[in-house]
Amino acid sequence: MKAELTLSPDPIDEAALAKARSITDGMGAVVTFAGVVRGREGEAAITGIDYESFDDMARRQFELIFAEIEQRWPIESVRLAHRTGIVKVNEPSLWVEVVAAHRAEAFYACQFLIDQMKQRVPIWKKPILT
Amino acid sequence: MKLTVRFWSYFADVTGCRDAAFEVEEGTTLGELHDQVCEQSPKLADARNSTLKAVGVDYQDDNFVLSDGDEISFFPPVQGG
Repeated sequence: MKAELTLSPDPIDEAALAKARSITDGMGAVVTFAGVVRGREGEAAITGIDYESFDDMARRQFELIFAEIEQRWPIESVRLAHRTGIVKVNEPSLWVEVVAAHRAEAFYACQFLIDQMKQRVPIWKKPILT
Repeated sequence: MKLTVRFWSYFADVTGCRDAAFEVEEGTTLGELHDQVCEQSPKLADARNSTLKAVGVDYQDDNFVLSDGDEISFFPPVQGG
């Protein structure tokens, strides 16, 4: 399974990521997910979220999650981009793509990846209040 | 043994530092170090049960025996996405 991880303060360019997609002819499913910063955090209006990442450990934990996905489902590739630093409301902080032969494993793997990230990958957010 | 302790997210705010040097006895476990850290920073004691702990870039439990030069991280539940 190919795995590509980007942790960066740079904006996530969804169009460029889609354009860079590379799949073999046996693949029939491409699942993508974008997590976007909402304008409210609980009751409070916010202008964005400041993401702090323990980069080295985040990379290690993502590698472990990718390895688990490879063990569980026949996935051709996973790409994940997570922003660090300040991300404004309506901008994506997270982008995930899973490519597989069939949709079931692609959806399962995508959900698993995001669920595991939220439990294990050391990234924290600090809302920026208006 | 000399250790480096790193605090992440709001733990850095409540301790007033991101990195701290600790000197502990040979054979000290991660749980025992956590006790020492909580004694020095009572606000971290309040969050003790939800605190996540890593040595280097891997999660470890309280029974993990530390080694000289280890870099230990304490942090609250993660919030990626």
